[in-house]
Amino acid sequence: MNDRFAAIAAGARERRDASRSSGRPRIALCLDTSSRARGGEATLAALREAVAARGLDVEIATTGSWGFCWLEPTVSVRSAAGSRTVLYHSLTPDRVEEFLRAVIVEAGEFPELALGVVEGPATDRIGLLRDHPFMRGQVRRLMANCGRIDPASIDDALANRAYEGFVTALDMEPAAIIELMLESGLGGRGGGGFPAGRKWDFLRNATADPRYLVCNADEGDPGAWVNRILMEGDPHLIVEGMLIAALATHAVEGYVYIRHEYPLAIERMNEAVRQARERGLLGEDILGSGKTFDLVVFTGAGSYVCGEETGLINSIDGYRGMPRIRPPFPAQAGLWNLPTNVNNVETYANAPLILREGAAWWSSVSDDDAKGTKMFTFSGAVNQSGCVEIPFGLSVRELLERYGGGVPGGVPLKGYQPGGPLSGILPAAEADLPLTLAPFRERGMFLGSGGIVFFDETASVVDLCTYFLGFAEDESCGRCTTCFQGTQRAVEILRRIASGGGRETDLDKLGDLIQTMIWSNCLHGQFAPTTVKLALREFRSEFETLIREKRDPTRSLPGMIAYEITNPTAPALAGAAAVCPTAAIVADGAGHAIVDELCIRCDACREVAPEAIAIRDRFA
Amino acid sequence: MAAEPTTRELRALVAGYEFDRGHLLPALIAIQERYGYVSRRAMEALARQLGTTPALVYGAVSFYADFRTEPPPRREIVWCSGPACRLRGGDRIREALQHTLGLPLDGQSADGACGFRLGQCNGTCSEAPQVWLDGEVVGGLTVAAAVALAREVMEDGAS
Ligand SMILES: Cc1cc2nc3c(=O)[nH]c(=O)nc-3n(C[C@H](O)[C@H](O)[C@H](O)COP(=O)(O)O)c2cc1C
Ligand code: FES
Repeated sequence: MNDRFAAIAAGARERRDASRSSGRPRIALCLDTSSRARGGEATLAALREAVAARGLDVEIATTGSWGFCWLEPTVSVRSAAGSRTVLYHSLTPDRVEEFLRAVIVEAGEFPELALGVVEGPATDRIGLLRDHPFMRGQVRRLMANCGRIDPASIDDALANRAYEGFVTALDMEPAAIIELMLESGLGGRGGGGFPAGRKWDFLRNATADPRYLVCNADEGDPGAWVNRILMEGDPHLIVEGMLIAALATHAVEGYVYIRHEYPLAIERMNEAVRQARERGLLGEDILGSGKTFDLVVFTGAGSYVCGEETGLINSIDGYRGMPRIRPPFPAQAGLWNLPTNVNNVETYANAPLILREGAAWWSSVSDDDAKGTKMFTFSGAVNQSGCVEIPFGLSVRELLERYGGGVPGGVPLKGYQPGGPLSGILPAAEADLPLTLAPFRERGMFLGSGGIVFFDETASVVDLCTYFLGFAEDESCGRCTTCFQGTQRAVEILRRIASGGGRETDLDKLGDLIQTMIWSNCLHGQFAPTTVKLALREFRSEFETLIREKRDPTRSLPGMIAYEITNPTAPALAGAAAVCPTAAIVADGAGHAIVDELCIRCDACREVAPEAIAIRDRFA
Repeated sequence: MAAEPTTRELRALVAGYEFDRGHLLPALIAIQERYGYVSRRAMEALARQLGTTPALVYGAVSFYADFRTEPPPRREIVWCSGPACRLRGGDRIREALQHTLGLPLDGQSADGACGFRLGQCNGTCSEAPQVWLDGEVVGGLTVAAAVALAREVMEDGAS
């Protein structure tokens, strides 16, 4: 063990133990982006104010996410004795007073909002957190520190084993590190699943210097926020992963490319890099080893294709973020045309665990072909929108039922999108597929980076296609005609179908487009039509009904419906008229009428007067 | 409205940035953080500092959705274009907001009072459907609530 590191880690543990044995209770509020969106800052302010007003002797800290995103703000309370910690949820400012009275003043607990006991025994009223339905079956390795440590404190990270994997790697030859990575079977988590060890070996064998590492934290797939959870919850895990990769590949500098939509992740990563440098874990002569490596946190500026590794490289280099033509691959010509390795956040984050605990331990978590654990976020038609870490292989339906809490309102599931706008959609009948790489590849799609979007029977598949193709069109870099024109044509056709103007030949036209888009340079253009391809295969009748019968079974497409007043004299219609953005509801004799040409089908009126307004088929 | 920054101020702000070190985006972000937008003059000053052409700088500015080339509006509604929001009526909310504000997506009123912009999901999908009002999440929207919000913003901007 490196002496300098031993001293640094011991210091951190001492400070942690001192805080534990201080006799002061500790309240730790999750303050990630999800918690902020749900009023976390206001709860923190209320806690601070109430603690000050009552003169309570309490340590107040902030943490990253436990994954219970839909129940934020979550708060854990460690007892004054330091031996018991309980996690609570949904702590809004108006409940802070009674909460503090219960957990601090009376040194008791607050079962009403309890999620579970993190540390210490269960009681009749509060079970163990690990027995909570949302936690059962999860294996928290990457997220082991998320929610538990203050992400802005390197001491907290060090006291929880940060950088131990890196220190192990310091004593190893690059080839041995790569051997271990290969043995683990770690595949890239950005969507492709390419073995990380092999990629690192390409860079190790590169012939030019200096060479670079890039951490892809662009996380552009809408509905995916697993990388955000890690960066906001345990940023040092990513720094450490990149340090290990640097040792294995002789890289001297790394870039963490984070999308601008993640200001908090940018702040936390910057702070982690600053603190790591201060402790001698980044920079020159790291821990006296003679090794040099430093990190730059680089902010994106709003572009989906900058998540594609060569688009990302162009973006850092100072050009439009247009994906390059490969080969050459980044390992030959990446940043500034020098050898570069690009991995996803979650890929790097696994390296410390593999180094610290060994490849066998790491890969034995399940017997699935894809090794290790994977983080998933889920949204859309779910009761609970959150983040889990599980071994590969759980079925999509189990994820939905167990962690997503099922579909709201008992509406039947219609389908899901496994991983991002390029990955495609599948019907509910395919919800028994295991969450791993192979079954999705076999269906001409891919599992993706971890964001799963569920949709129920009220959703129109044609609308989803229009949305995802529209997204791909907006985000096309413009290099390939097949991509930027192909997406544009596809959206035109889909819009036509969605508004009652579909033609018998349209489905073949879409089929032709799919064929030509395959010729695009990068995966953006190649996979942009996957949603349509799968939809034509799995939901074809929905397109046919729209084209042949001019009818939308979901009654949700604005071009296929009309609004009508069913009870012209209902008093609620005055409110409906007032809310209508286009003044389409007008006084008509003793009651009200809708001027169809003005109506934009936004549904505001029906929200206000559901008893008096109905939707009908426009072409009936 | 704040006066357009002078060339001298701009040059001082971008001094130290180097093209070969990947500083184009960081410099543009620094300019926008300081002034709220990247003016023509700023692009020229930056091109000079980086030893490149305004065309290359403009090429980047126009590529990324986040850069503005006009001063930002006083109040702004950013609409979440993501899937969870869409599945809960997000597109109807967009339609209603556009008509209430009288602005297209990524448009702003001539007097700079209010703006309407397309935003990307950042994983607060439990709040869907949502918008960001001046950077703060307003979630769990109904269409009627979105219309009320837009009207309030317009009244505010007008006064
Ligand atoms: C249009 C497009 C967008 C992408 N966006 C991301 C992204 O946001 N994050 C990511 O890690 N990979 C993304 N990728 C995949 C990357 O190109 C690359 O394969 C990945 O970063 C490699 O890391 P890994 O081997 O660790 O998975 C994207 C690919 C394409 C074609
Ligand atoms: S889709 Fe709107 S917040 Fe995720």
